[in-house]
Amino acid sequence: MAYTFRGGSHVAEHKHTRRQQIEKMDPPARVSIPLSQHIGAHAKPLVAVGDYVWRGQMIGDVEDGLGCPVHASVSGKVTALELRTNVAGTQSVHIVIESDGQMALDPLILPHEKKLSETTAEEIIDIVRRAGIVGMGGAAFPTYAKIRSAIGKAERLIVNCAECEPYITANHRLLLENPAGVINGVKILLKALGVRHADIAVEDNKLDAINKLETMLADSKLMGIKVLKTKYPQGDERQLIYALTGRELPAGKLPADVGCVVFNAETCAAVFAAFAYGMPSIERIITVDGDCVANPKNLLVPIGTSCLDVIDACGGLRCPPQKVIFGGPMMGAAQWDIETPVIKGTSAILAFSAEKVKPSKLPEVCLHCGRCVQNCPMHLMPNYLVQYAMQGDLAEAEAFGALACVGCGTCSYNCPGNMQIVQYIRVAKGTIMAKRQAEKSRALAQDKSE
Amino acid sequence: MKETPTVKSVSGVEVPSLLTVSPAPHIHHPDSTRTIMLDVIFALVPAAVWGAYVFGLRVLLVILTCVGSAVLAEALTQKLLRRPVTIADCSAALTGFLLALNLPVTVPLWMCVLGAAFAIIVVKQLFGGIGKNFVNPALAARVFLFSWPTEMTFFTAPTQRFGLFDFSVLADGVDVVSTATPLSALKAGAMPDVSLFDMIFGEVGGCIGEVSSILLIAGGIYLLVRRVITWHIPAAYIGTVAVITFFFPQGGSSTAFMLAEIFSGGLLLGAFFMATDYTTSPVTPIGRLVYGVGCGLLTVLIRYFGGYPEGVSFSILMMNTLVWYLDRYMRPRWFGGGKNGRK
Repeated sequence: MAYTFRGGSHVAEHKHTRRQQIEKMDPPARVSIPLSQHIGAHAKPLVAVGDYVWRGQMIGDVEDGLGCPVHASVSGKVTALELRTNVAGTQSVHIVIESDGQMALDPLILPHEKKLSETTAEEIIDIVRRAGIVGMGGAAFPTYAKIRSAIGKAERLIVNCAECEPYITANHRLLLENPAGVINGVKILLKALGVRHADIAVEDNKLDAINKLETMLADSKLMGIKVLKTKYPQGDERQLIYALTGRELPAGKLPADVGCVVFNAETCAAVFAAFAYGMPSIERIITVDGDCVANPKNLLVPIGTSCLDVIDACGGLRCPPQKVIFGGPMMGAAQWDIETPVIKGTSAILAFSAEKVKPSKLPEVCLHCGRCVQNCPMHLMPNYLVQYAMQGDLAEAEAFGALACVGCGTCSYNCPGNMQIVQYIRVAKGTIMAKRQAEKSRALAQDKSE
Repeated sequence: MKETPTVKSVSGVEVPSLLTVSPAPHIHHPDSTRTIMLDVIFALVPAAVWGAYVFGLRVLLVILTCVGSAVLAEALTQKLLRRPVTIADCSAALTGFLLALNLPVTVPLWMCVLGAAFAIIVVKQLFGGIGKNFVNPALAARVFLFSWPTEMTFFTAPTQRFGLFDFSVLADGVDVVSTATPLSALKAGAMPDVSLFDMIFGEVGGCIGEVSSILLIAGGIYLLVRRVITWHIPAAYIGTVAVITFFFPQGGSSTAFMLAEIFSGGLLLGAFFMATDYTTSPVTPIGRLVYGVGCGLLTVLIRYFGGYPEGVSFSILMMNTLVWYLDRYMRPRWFGGGKNGRK
């Protein structure tokens, strides 16, 4: 019996690239590396215009607070520090590097000199931080911070290889082509956390990868495989933890609060690369697909490469795209600029034609059919949430659980009336949070004045 | 915003300088309002065809009049109220179809037009259109048409067929003879004089669409398989009727009485196609069960103690008005919620 959860839907998989071996992309002529790729502080640039940088050289770092250093993904000359819009749609400084085509690795990049058994947790955390590793499943939370906050609290480590988003096969290919990297990375994370056993969770649409891991792990005491039923959003931390442990992670809590810690499979492989070779996080596997892409494939792409360069490495465009999405089609972010650079959290680039993303001509209506209620993995009533959100009745929206919404979009996907359910709930959630924040700061100001 | 020049892919395809940005999700389930309405219409077609077989081709005339008037009423009202015209979603057609199936074959055509207009204009559009009505439009129209009780309760024998061009049957209907439906026999405390086999296959008097139990069940199963409806409402509704009529029969043996109650009248049409109307039924599993039980309870009470032998329409309408409370107080427990399910 495969592990699963209540709610969610089986979304048409479209995993066309499942048999496409990971190809290394030719070095792009130019990369543009954002100094902010995730929540937390923006990194400060460590290089100036005109500097020569090695591939893998640290070019930005965060002095204090939550954040991660960034590294050059090609060797060459820094030509600009420019302000531009990143994937998330916010402005941040990008370091532009003209590649010299050499891909010359920083000579300072060396393997960790101690054996794993002699390495302390703090040392591992330091290695992970210096390598700039963040969660590569999409949310891009700094991995060192996750390890640190989970030490002593988590007694179960889960490796997330559900890959429940349609189209994406990057993790699937990683498990097939570099299972040793993932397994060794998990060993390092187990050591850092002081946890004895890890579960590698894979959806049952990747049986070849499951077989491969099973033969490699044999009867390993350190880790085992858990087969998940293929269903969206199985890769969501909450649903993953629930499927494997039966523990429910409430809104606003971290996995460590229920004794779990979850890492994406590619993050584990990155941790191993950092430990074994000193290699920082400067490239990642990206599934490039969509009806506009000439030859959909899985590419190993240097961070900061423009989306168009990535598509061109796949034979270019077959037809003009209407929508270009970074990430999966269920939760990914549509980009207005096809030259948006790839970041550490970009698991896929999907280019769709106007034909494919044609909006419905019928007006938005709620039929009260209850499909959103049946499929909500958080067991909310999205049909009422959307109505309260549209009316601006925030108190009722909160009473119906607006803040517990994880924004997976299963409701909008299933809505036959074409309502933008999750989008409205997101607005209501944002407004409630902003209001709370304002009240808090007002109370704080009052306290101060008294 | 920065002006971006148009860029070209290596393949020579030009990229628009600004792509479309919209919030996720970017893909959609193939089902839409239209496919769902068409599914329900499709599921009802066999029962309607059977109706035309036993009551004659005039059935088609009644259906066409009801569907046509409903669609026309929807288009006209929407034009008049300056709303987008949404007859393409087929929901008005379904309302008209359901209304026709709930009428006797002898119904005057002007009543079809009036009923369809009432359903669409008063019950649906004046409350805000699709998804906003608080009672089932087709059923409300049927009850409204009971203002003409003689026409609404004039049921003919299944062998007495009416032709396609018998426009007004009752006016010049010298030969038209009414018959007792199984329900009126049950109401009188006697077992109906037709066999259970006839009731299941539909060789009985009654409304156009309600007579063939087996075809209605087949349609219901189709809707369940297509996931248009869930099992909760029909199961709870029919189950409740079955249990009460089995333990408190009004005549005959328990089993025979129970089966006659289930396979006669509008119960199956109501339980599979009317009580499951999205807008006027609850959305949670437990709410749907309670709603189904309520419908069953009221149906039997009306059949036993009411002035009219049939109670399906009235009981569904009554339960329709409770949907908001059923939804609100039968909310599911949130994932990660506390003991009481919230927060």
